[in-house]
Amino acid sequence: MNLRRRLIDFLAIALGAAMIAALVHVVAILIIPLYATRDAFARLSGLGPINATIALAQSGPRERLIPYGDPAVAGAFCRFDLRAGPLRVKAPANLASFASLSFHTRRGSIFYAITDKAATHGTLEALVVTDEQLRALEAKDDEDTPVQDLRIVSNAKEGFVMMRALSEEPSLYPSAEGAVRALTCASEPIAE
Amino acid sequence: MDTLIKALIACVIGLVLGLSATAWSLRYGRGFDAATIGAWTVSEKAGTLEADPYTRAALEQSGEIPLALGEGLQFIARTDDSGAALSPSCAYLVGRTTPPARYWTLSLVDQLGFPVANAAARYGFRSSEIQRGADGGFLIAVSSSPHSGNWLPIGSNGRFALVLRLYDSPVSATAAAIEKDALPRIVRESCL
Repeated sequence: MNLRRRLIDFLAIALGAAMIAALVHVVAILIIPLYATRDAFARLSGLGPINATIALAQSGPRERLIPYGDPAVAGAFCRFDLRAGPLRVKAPANLASFASLSFHTRRGSIFYAITDKAATHGTLEALVVTDEQLRALEAKDDEDTPVQDLRIVSNAKEGFVMMRALSEEPSLYPSAEGAVRALTCASEPIAE
Repeated sequence: MDTLIKALIACVIGLVLGLSATAWSLRYGRGFDAATIGAWTVSEKAGTLEADPYTRAALEQSGEIPLALGEGLQFIARTDDSGAALSPSCAYLVGRTTPPARYWTLSLVDQLGFPVANAAARYGFRSSEIQRGADGGFLIAVSSSPHSGNWLPIGSNGRFALVLRLYDSPVSATAAAIEKDALPRIVRESCL
């Protein structure tokens, strides 16, 4: 009788613990991205101000800020805040090898990416705007002249632009790094 | 009183279990939308707005800056082709083909995704620098002890993973449909 009682107690505790464990797990998984204290944006925030182009150190055993970086690929980023106006992004893409721009929100979603294949005159250029800013720009567009800009709509006000350039050989890494350092990001307020 | 204590015990056990399951799944688990092809795992949706909660949480915790689909694809292998975990006391041959891509790189990382220090300072290979056989195929020797040809040193006694990145690849959008034979095989040669 006593043994049976204990068994029931044990089962009740185990069942309760399992249910709570499942609940804690699900809630934790859903909550973690909301805190976002360790994500890429938070890590990059410590490196420099908004709109500044900052080159990431080459991925290596002692460089432990951003994991899963490619040691063959140079990277630079700039953080943006569209509350200061649309963001003009320019990057040279005249290397023989692969280069790309990707546009990330504060929360880590990528909303656009282009590679050097889309470059015109050896330059990748884009204007990052919010929905509202796009409407303001379109209202001012001249109907007779086609829009030259590649306008990319961001759902988020904050985010970062990442530029990558691949080096074909270890000795070419410095030139890939030179290419990503030439990324520029500038706020371009809409004229009244 | 007795019931309260039992409930408390269940709560504590549940909390500990739930949090450790979360920590474990973030480091070693994979999202719902990850595809496994042979030894390789790929998540097409990592970093997109459609990423599942596990992928999002894992990305937030690791701080990784994922590749956009338009840039390329990243595959990770933590086991060899037979399904056994990659071990630093074994030697592996990796090759001979990859899916089509303008460039690819194959590198070795520790469990957190950082390159592992080694005397040769070799952390990975680029498609543009690798020595190939007469048929255009390649073989990379992954081992602790030096090897002729393309040698990727293991460098430490810890668990490691192999990362394959395809840049500018036409298969990006249909990653899950890649044939096992199109990816590099990871074959264990010998163990100490």
